[in-house]
This record gives sequence, C-alpha cells and structure tokens, in this order.
Amino acid sequence: MKKLLSLLILILFSVTIQAQRFPKPDFDSGYQYPAFSYVVPNETLWLTIDIILLVVLMSIVAWAVIKKRVRKPVFYVSIISVAYFGFFRSGCVCSIGAIQNVSLSLVDNSYSMPFAVLLFFILPIIFALLFGRVFCAGVCPLGALQELVNIKNYRLSKSLAAVLGIIPWIYLLFTILFAVTRSTFLICRFDPFIGIFRLGGDIGLIVFGVLLLIAAIFTGRPFCRFICPYGALLSLFSRVSIWKASITPQCINCELCHNACPVDAIITPYENKVKETRLQGVKRILLYLIFLPVMVIIGGLILQLMSTSLSRVNKDVRLYDMVIQNEKEPRDILPLDLEAFYGQGGTIEEITGRVQKIQSEFKTYSSVTGALIGLVIGFTLIGLSVKRTRKNYEINDAKCVNCAKCFSYCPQNKINRL
Amino acid sequence: MRRKIVRNIAIVSAIFMVTFSIMLITNYFQVKGVNPLQVEVIETLKQINDENANNVELQEQIRQLDLLARQAYFVRMDHLMTGVYILVAMLVVFIVSLHLYFSGEKDIPGKDIDPIDDWTVKTLARKYVNWVAGVLVIAALVFVVLTSPYLKMEKTDNQTEPLADATQPESYGDNEYETLPVEQEDSVAVITLAENNTEADKTVAEAEIKKEEEEEIPKVTHNGFRGNNSNAISTAKSIPTEWNLKTGANIVWANKILRQGFNSPVINGNKVFISGADEEARELYCYNLKTGELLWTVSANNIPGSPAQMPKTTQDTGLAASTVATNGKQVCAIFASGDLICSDTDGKRLWAKNLGIPANHYGYASSLLTFGNSLIVQYDNSNSPKVVALDMATGKELWNKNRTDKITWSSPIIAYVNKKPQLVLMGNPSITAYNPNNGEQYWRVEGLSGEVASSPCSAADIVFGASEYAALIAVDANTGELLWETNDFLPEVSSPVATKDNVYLATSYGVLACYDTKSGELRKSYELDTEFYSSPVITEGKLYIFSNSGKVYIYAANSDFGLVNSFETGEKTFATPAFTDGRIVVRTENSIYCVASKS
Repeated sequence: MKKLLSLLILILFSVTIQAQRFPKPDFDSGYQYPAFSYVVPNETLWLTIDIILLVVLMSIVAWAVIKKRVRKPVFYVSIISVAYFGFFRSGCVCSIGAIQNVSLSLVDNSYSMPFAVLLFFILPIIFALLFGRVFCAGVCPLGALQELVNIKNYRLSKSLAAVLGIIPWIYLLFTILFAVTRSTFLICRFDPFIGIFRLGGDIGLIVFGVLLLIAAIFTGRPFCRFICPYGALLSLFSRVSIWKASITPQCINCELCHNACPVDAIITPYENKVKETRLQGVKRILLYLIFLPVMVIIGGLILQLMSTSLSRVNKDVRLYDMVIQNEKEPRDILPLDLEAFYGQGGTIEEITGRVQKIQSEFKTYSSVTGALIGLVIGFTLIGLSVKRTRKNYEINDAKCVNCAKCFSYCPQNKINRL
Repeated sequence: MRRKIVRNIAIVSAIFMVTFSIMLITNYFQVKGVNPLQVEVIETLKQINDENANNVELQEQIRQLDLLARQAYFVRMDHLMTGVYILVAMLVVFIVSLHLYFSGEKDIPGKDIDPIDDWTVKTLARKYVNWVAGVLVIAALVFVVLTSPYLKMEKTDNQTEPLADATQPESYGDNEYETLPVEQEDSVAVITLAENNTEADKTVAEAEIKKEEEEEIPKVTHNGFRGNNSNAISTAKSIPTEWNLKTGANIVWANKILRQGFNSPVINGNKVFISGADEEARELYCYNLKTGELLWTVSANNIPGSPAQMPKTTQDTGLAASTVATNGKQVCAIFASGDLICSDTDGKRLWAKNLGIPANHYGYASSLLTFGNSLIVQYDNSNSPKVVALDMATGKELWNKNRTDKITWSSPIIAYVNKKPQLVLMGNPSITAYNPNNGEQYWRVEGLSGEVASSPCSAADIVFGASEYAALIAVDANTGELLWETNDFLPEVSSPVATKDNVYLATSYGVLACYDTKSGELRKSYELDTEFYSSPVITEGKLYIFSNSGKVYIYAANSDFGLVNSFETGEKTFATPAFTDGRIVVRTENSIYCVASKS
C-alpha cells in the first residue's frame, strides 16, 4: 500500500509541475505572433546533480543488495529515480539513449558528445563490472516504474523467454546502425515511457507505454527483459562482476527465491539425468560452432542486401527519393520537404552525392550488424546446448537486475538479519 | 464484498482502457496524416492567388481557411492529449484496484509453469530459436526480393521482350526511324505482338525502342554557366576523352547555330538551351540532347522598355554573351539590351521584361543563375550596379540589392558554406557574399581591380576569385577573412575552378596553373602558347578546357595535374562546354555539337 501511495503522490506531483511549456497559439487575435525569447537554463548544474545522484543511488543499491541483502533501500531508490530522473528530469539524459551518442561519437569526429552523456553511459557499466546490474535495480527510471506497478508475477515459459531475450540484442545492433549512419536515434524516437514521464508527446508511444505498464503489472519488467538494449549490454559486464548478489549460503532449497524472482534469474538445482549421451551433446555443440561462421555470413549478406531499404530511415535518402519522384512526375503541390529543398537551391547532383555516401556507409554497417545478429543467434543456441549439474540454487548474473526481491522472501536471510 | 467491488472496478477500468486505447490509436493515425500547413483546397487557392495577386477577397478566404485548418488540427490534438490523460488515469485506477484485490495474496510468489526438467526447457527453447531465426531469414529474403529494383526492371523487360524478339532486322538506316509516322506507332506495335513477322512491324518496334531510349532522361543537369551553382564541378559520368569533328568519331550530332553568341550551352533532362542575338533578333533556343533537333525558339520581342536600337557592343562580347539558366521548369535568357525573357521548357513564353539598358562599354556579359525557383541577375553596370532576384515562374521581383562595386562582366555563383548557400559575386574592388533568399550581405572582401570578367568559384568553405592585373584571392567564406593572395598567373575572361585541395585557372595568354587551396602556393603550371576564354570544368576527376582555337586539354584534377589527353577540334571555341552523363555539349563560334561515346 505504501508503494501505491508513493506512486500516486509521484504522479500528482508531476502533473502539477508539468505546466504547458509554450502557450498555445491564439488564432482568434489575428496571427499575433509573440516575440520569442529563449532563456538558457543552467543545465550544467542539473547535469552535475544528475551524475552525483546516479552514483549515489547506484552505491546505495550496491550496498543494500550485496552488503546488507535487503530490499527496502532498493524500493526507495526506485521512487527517487522515477520522481527525479523520470518525472522531474523528463527521462533525459538516460543511459539507454547514451548508447547512440557514444556510437556516433566513435565514428564521427565532428560530433561532440557532452561529457555528462559519456558518464551516464559509462558509470552503470563500471558499476555492473563491480556489483552487477545495480543500475537496472531501481536507478533506471524505466525499470523502476515497471517495478513499482508490478503486483502479480505471472511467469512466462522459459523457452519463450529465451527467444524473446534475443530482441534486446537486435534492438541494440539496429540502434547502433542507425546512430553511426547519422540516420536516427532509435531509442529516443521509440522510448515508450518518455511520453508518460512528460505527460505529453507522441500519442502512439504513450499508448504503447501504457500497454507495457499493464503487462508489467502481471509480469516482471517486460521492457527490461525483452526490449531494453542497454540491459543487454549490461548483462555482458554483470557476468564478470567482482561482487555479486548471491544465494544465502545457508540455503535450505525452499524454492521461494526462485519463485519470487520477477526476471527468472534464479536457476534451480538440476541433476543432469538427460537420456542423451555426452557424445551427442558434444556433437551438437560442435555442429553449432561449425555453423556459427555460416550464420554470421548469412546474417551479414542478408542485411547487406537490405541496406538500401534500411537507408531510407535516413532523412536525406527519403528526401532524395522524393526529389527523384518529383523530377519524374512533378507535383502541383510540393510537400514541405521538397519546398524547402528547392527553396534553398538544392540540386539533384548535390543530394545524389550525399545519398551515395550514406548508402555506401549503410552497406558496410548493415553487413556488420547482420553478422553480429548471426553471432547473437549462434551464441544463444550454443548457450542452450550446454548442460551442467547444479546442486544448489544459483543466480544467473546476466539476467539478475539486483532488485533484491528474493532476499525479502528468503527465510534464512531473515534469520541471519535477526 | 469489498474484494468483489474492487475486482469489478478493475474489470471495468481494463475494458475501458482497451477500448480507449483502440480509439486513441485509430484517432492518432487519422490526425497523423493531416498536415494543416498543406491543405489541398488552400494550396489550390494559393496557386490561383499567385496567378492573380490583387484579389483581396481570395486572400481573405485563404486566411480564413488556413485559420480553420490550424484550429481543427490543434483541437484534435488537444482531444487526443485529453484522451491520453484519461487513459493514464484509468491505468492508475486499474493498478489501485488490482492492488486492493491482491492485497491478501500478493506476497505469495508465483509458480513455475515450465517442466521441472531443465534440459526439456532448453531443447524446446533451441527449437523456438531455430524456428524464429528461419522465419527471420525467410522474411528478410522476401523483403529483399520485393524491394529489389531488379524486380521492377524485370517487369519492364517483360513488357518490352516481345517487341525485342519481333525486331531482328537485317539492316536499318537511320532514316527509317525518322520517317516513321508517329501516329501509327501504337497501333502497329500491337500488330507486331500478334503477328510478329512483317518487316514493317519490325521497323515500328525498333522505332519504339529507339523512342524509349531517346526518352530516357539523364539525371545530371547543367543548369547554367559552368553547370549547377555555376561552380564548374559536374557529377556527370562516362564522359568521353576523345572525339573528332572531322571524322565524326564520338560526335552524335552537330548543328549550325542560328544567331551569334558567346554564351555557353545548358542541359536539363533531354533539352539543351542556348541563346543567340544580332541586330535583327534576340532568341532563346532549345535542342534535343539526343538528336540535336531544334525543338523550339522563343523570341525576345515586344518587350516594354526594350530599345529600338541595340546598344553598341564589341565584337568579342556581342549581344548574347550571357549564358541562359534553367531550374528544370523554366528557362530564362538575358541580352545586352537588358531584355530578359523566361519560358517554360516546352517553349511557351511566360514573361519578359527589360531591366534597363545596361551602361556597359563592351556589352553586358554576366550570366544568369538559378537558385531553386529564383533567378539571380548580377546587373553590374556603370550607372546603377545591382543584384536582383526574380521569381522564375512569374518574373516578380523577390529582392533587389544595390551594389557599390564598379562595372563587371563576371557571373554569380552559389557557394555552399557549412551546408548553407551563399550567393557570391565578384566586383571591382571586392568579392561579396549575400544570402540568396533575401539579399542580405554576409561578407565583403576587397582585393580585385581593373576589368573583372572572371567569375568566382568555391570549395570546402573557401571562395576564390581572380582578376587580371590584380590577384587571385582566397576568402574563408565562414568568416569573410582573406586567407591568402597570389599573382603568378591571373585569368582575364576564363574563370577558375577549385577542388578541396587545388584551384585551377587558365589565362588569356595560354597558361594553365594549379594552386594549393590552403596556402596559395603554385603547384604546377603549363605554358601552352594559346589563349583561353572558355572556363575549365571538372568532372570524373578530370579537368576539361577548350582553347580559343578549339584545342581540347584534359588534365587530371589532382595535385599532379598531369595531362590526360589533348587534341584539336578545328573550330574556334569561346564558350564553356556543358556536361551530363555520357555526353558533352559544346558551342563553337559557328556551331553546337554533342559528344558521346558511341561504344
């Protein structure tokens, strides 16, 4: 109930502070345009506060989960994060979106990435290397919001979840592809929660965000598990983190932690009694290993073939298509894009040169993206072919988001704390 | 009882949310397709207004409709936003009621739905991953096939294939195509498909194919003096490096010009435009790029303010020294009398006006320049030097800027600086950059003197300008700062051309020189014992230039500046050639001809 009240207060608070930023145009007064005046906000101060808060909140989560093994601080961190990073700072800068800035800055020397964005990208990764995905636990406002609305934790089939788990990787790779080709920032464009945090924006996306939240009521963090590209990236680092959340050493195999985990990150003990012989298993893994380069090549080739179509995400390529179409069949009424193009003295030669360069870039990067998608699928299949005997419950460090829910259910943990 | 109530509230709010979401999404897509800035009715009325600018009632009607369209748009957007607020509110109600409903059992964790056997789960997951990967590959391949340009080509090929099969003539003369009656083509082609055997049918089908080839429109345009933006850089490809006017090697067509002029040819699509003038008439001509056929002529006559007697000009300038300009929809020409005419590309004269007889002791020679739908006229003369922008469709003045520089014969260019256009004009004593949209001056740098006839050029945000007996200067077009100046070799009439690394120029005493764009250092020069009035143009990494005697020089447009080829054409050439894919159009003293590789 406390959780619910906090959420309600949060939403009411955000509604009251979200005044209309710009006055709506008053058409009845005869096109009286107001004089524009722009006040430069003291953004440096806020960004400094953002960074400090990011580090402090991640440290609190790390302390609570790894040292104290308690859930409560994580819950409070979630509230602060949703209130501050979500509603107050309108979900921007966010670490998820920072992937795009970092990718673009790696290929484009002329792109100057703000230092704060770099920190937002790198700090959660450093923390993941040290303590696991403490950022996902409650510092990320997107994960925290889903955590706060979660009521029941209906489980999804693990086999289905394994397939859906590929989506964040594909999303990550396409995000990088479109960022390095200066086409679009996919994550910013399709962030389903930004409209909710800002109480405005693209209505289609807000509806999508609402649907995701409805799903989050019944199952743990659907966005984090099956969409979030940054989560996929952090899962790489959390596998090798130095200090990790762990199962209570005096585990009595009561299964409560496993059932409580919203992201299915606790693996049950398993006695390897597969009817299949060891040789068969080894043969399968060898087959996948041999087939892996083929998957990489096929993926690369297919996306290379699709590169021209993919390049249409770039606004210059779309404009070029419009210009060519218009040159073939001139329109009576030019769309605004064409009006601007011709109005600024744009020529086919100039735009053709630009588009050829973009398409050549797309060809290269699409091949790499396709190859990496092949690699992801290959590794997933190999991962699913490995069998291992486990005597105790174990935490899957890649999946675990350090939400500490399991600790609040563990009877041994409660005894230890007494 | 309480549990039942909250359960019902949850169900009602859930149904409400689903219904509302569907309605919102539908409405969202409807509103997304609406653009209040381009309502068809208003656009049509605007066009009518453009044709008749004095209709106050119509203008008021447009304003009212525009207001209504915007109001309607924002009201709909407001409704949508209200809908979103209601949806979020219902979500909150739903979460609250669910919380209350599950308050007694929410701490009981859910049970695994998978089989206990971990290996069975993994086997199933592998199967799913394999299936999904397979479906993704198939979907991607289908997408590739459906979006492939070859598929579209294949459709076209299927349509033309029967014609091609039916047409295997033993020998054809060119005249056979030309004498074919056009009105019979369609009907006879149908018979060809059905009967597929008579000689006449074969001829018709072949003519169809030839016609299709002729109608193939080259993408690369050359819209004014020294090409688009007048910057002497062309994107044309497959340009021949050798031809022979005497033997006809690589010559597609050649025609005698009808009236004299030193202006250069201009290409847009399948049309070539030039102008010509003498004491009797001033005319704009259009030729077919593929065949050389004269398509139409538009005369600059019956223009109010046009002088009855032509102003005196020198023999090497004449009445039609200014190159015409086109934007693909209209084409305009200006003459030494100050007469400016504009027609559509089908030869229908749209408007004409006299800008006032220019006080010019050699004769007016600045070429026209197009910038989108604007026509830029550098009207520097001894009395009232100015630069004017006119609407190409109507002739309406868009802006007008008086200039302080002395008379020049130079032509304007558009330089893209930091991706923004700058209109750059040479003068005496300065190079000046303006905003081509409104004539606002960006920067002005002094450094020229004497009779300025050469035009500027630009590359990599640097503008270069030169005049004989003064200097070649380089200006940072971002700041208007003079970067360097040099005076080893300077052009009189010919204009320089620049790449990122080098600027090339040709002098009237026969020197071709290449300078470093960064430092102004002379990299290489050739003394060729000839004269250059024509300007160099760079395409496919090669610099093409004609000497006055008609000798072609082709050099590598790089720092080595090595000779690629050089040969005589035998006809005096003063104009700058025009380039499009696979073709060059050259105007000589007495003729116009088209070069294309016949292989």
